[in-house]
Amino acid sequence: MAQASSAQSADFETDFWKDATSRKVWDEIVPGEPRKTLPYKLTQEAIALFCKAVGETNPLYLDEAAAKAGPYGGLVAPPSIHILLMFACTPTDDWMRSPGTVNAGQSWSYNIPARPGDTITLQARALDKFIRRERLFVVHDNVFFNQHGDVICSGRGQTIRPM
Amino acid sequence: MTVSFDQLKAGDGIDGPRFAVSRESIRLFCDGSLDYNPLHLDDEYMKGNFGKTNFGGIIMHGMNNFGLLTRMLTDWATPPSAIHRRLETRWLKPVRPGDTIQPTGIIKSKQVTTKSRWVLIDVMVKNQNGEQVAIGEAMVEFPVATAAA
Repeated sequence: MAQASSAQSADFETDFWKDATSRKVWDEIVPGEPRKTLPYKLTQEAIALFCKAVGETNPLYLDEAAAKAGPYGGLVAPPSIHILLMFACTPTDDWMRSPGTVNAGQSWSYNIPARPGDTITLQARALDKFIRRERLFVVHDNVFFNQHGDVICSGRGQTIRPM
Repeated sequence: MTVSFDQLKAGDGIDGPRFAVSRESIRLFCDGSLDYNPLHLDDEYMKGNFGKTNFGGIIMHGMNNFGLLTRMLTDWATPPSAIHRRLETRWLKPVRPGDTIQPTGIIKSKQVTTKSRWVLIDVMVKNQNGEQVAIGEAMVEFPVATAAA
């Protein structure tokens, strides 16, 4: 199976079929129940790779000298880095990784930027679930913190569960 | 040109970056986001049905739209020292290899609160046929300048 790029965590399991049978299906997901999550050390390499994937060129994320002179006094990650953090902080047996999970939309609020070297933690849970037009939805809510306990960002999303 | 809170008005537009979607760009997004859902990788798997939906082939991550909208908003907000504070999105159509997408924004309104100033923006992503693939809204904060030197 493909290995995650070395810029990301080397032991990240990229085969989302692995452990698929141990993941909760829609029926078993309990709204309100906290999800197990993993702390993640965010590196400059991981930020740079994420930036490349969306074509980010803002020097705040990529140019140390320019970032130092900028509003944050050093390099930061783009706000959308929670896209990476979501999977980086999610264990392999979590339902967020179930193959066929379809993202139906998200909303995120940003407090302070994540920075290279931060150890990020995630508090997350399913908040709600419902059925609409024969599709099985789960609402998930998420808050990312840095190692100082500061909120980086918080967000809510809806996924359509595989059937 | 750098925008200022006072000069901005409803209806002003923001143009985001054009983005060419390919199998390679989708694969790179897998590596950048650690989202290796087979929706984005596995052609055989994508021949099947998903409940009531059949995509007919691999699709781009919906969050790639989100990343491009963020890029547009932060590039717009950085020069006037404004801060991207919120983004809400909904996907309307799947995006496939070969598509070219572009995010745009339209200023909806401005709001002054007790301690700050906000610009509300309607955002969307369109494909090369002018079809909306994602829509949403954003909030950018223009902090009141603190006692200038």
